Amino acid sequence: MPFDVNFIARLIPALLEGAVITVELAVLTFLICLVWGLLVALAQATRGPLRWIAGGYIQAMRTTPLLIQLYIIYFGFAMGGFPLSGFMSGLLALCIQNGAYVAEIYRGGLQSISQRQFEAGRALGMRRWTLYTTVIMPQVMARVIPPMTNQAISIIKDTSQVAAIAVMEMMKVAEVWVESSANTYDVFAGVAIIYLVLTSIAGLIGKAAEHRLAFAQ
Amino acid sequence: MTLLNPLLHSYWYLFRGAGMTLLMAGASVVPATVLGLLLALVHVFGRGTARATLQVYLFIVRGIPLLVLLTFVYYLLPLTGIDLPPFWGVVVVMSLYYAAFMSEVFRAGIESLPQAQWDAARSLGMQRHLLMRIIILPQALRLAAPPFVSLCANLVKATSLVSIVGLWELTMASREVVERTLAPFQIFLGAAAIYFCICYAMALYGRYLERRSLVGH
Repeated sequence: MPFDVNFIARLIPALLEGAVITVELAVLTFLICLVWGLLVALAQATRGPLRWIAGGYIQAMRTTPLLIQLYIIYFGFAMGGFPLSGFMSGLLALCIQNGAYVAEIYRGGLQSISQRQFEAGRALGMRRWTLYTTVIMPQVMARVIPPMTNQAISIIKDTSQVAAIAVMEMMKVAEVWVESSANTYDVFAGVAIIYLVLTSIAGLIGKAAEHRLAFAQ
Repeated sequence: MTLLNPLLHSYWYLFRGAGMTLLMAGASVVPATVLGLLLALVHVFGRGTARATLQVYLFIVRGIPLLVLLTFVYYLLPLTGIDLPPFWGVVVVMSLYYAAFMSEVFRAGIESLPQAQWDAARSLGMQRHLLMRIIILPQALRLAAPPFVSLCANLVKATSLVSIVGLWELTMASREVVERTLAPFQIFLGAAAIYFCICYAMALYGRYLERRSLVGH
């Protein structure tokens, strides 16, 4: 029976409980990736072995599915004697996969800064640290906001895959409810609406950040 | 070598899974590309309702995880009485989902051409479809080729999700082998290596296209 009011009244709190885990996973992943991706991008801008390691990491992540990485971390690590909880495995897999995409975004931002700015900074006798923190990075940050927003939205959507290792985030909650109630329409309509709300909020935050940092352009 | 034994005994099974993955990805890529191109044209030329409908479609597809849509169809199809084999159900969902992203890629290609191209063609008295066919699309498609290829690699990765709704392909095959051999680390790494080979080949081809498109300008 679709649109059964009593059912929906019980369903919504359960889905929101799952949505809290979804949001926790997505926010933690995004924050860790912002730092981790920057480190990878900077490593890729150096010369020497670090560059190859970073490049290989990015390529490996971009060419293998998140789901396989989840399985390797969740089942493989347990077999090797490092059992991780579902949440931690999910977080780790989400971070290593999305970190590669975030690093690519930073790389694009760094490359879009004209070479003359680096030269000008050096000509003024700036140290590398000062040059990066006061001149280069503020501009990079402002430029990467639109693709970063897309990546944040993509991270929110990716968290649904963590359901495959039985983390009780929204997607897993939905599956349990569908299987116990057979009320497919209501459950999936609810899940879809909550995901749309979450991704829209991420989009709006991105727009606001773009507006705030417009001065750095 | 004993460590790799499970993999050496089952690689043929994994290759057959990879064949299924390629078949599924190939069957989805073609309709996704055609529909994506049509949607891009709607975005460029469409007015009023057509354009508003497209915006709603893009909003929905970009805001809801593919896994949710796949699971929805998996539970829903038997209820609606449409007798579609699961393989084709998945292909329909993947095509509709990726068409949205394809349309963004093609639209960006079309919009990045200078206005002067349109003006010049119009001032020569070209009709719209002639203008599109011999001036705009050849250039736009060339510009769109590199992101298109990376989107295709993304689609190959995304086919791993259908294993969650019970379809047999590479990820499902590797899960079956893991259940028999209890060697998750080796088998999933083997599956990751196969995905890597498929997607890396596509990435190399994308890079080749990128170089060619730069030469053409």
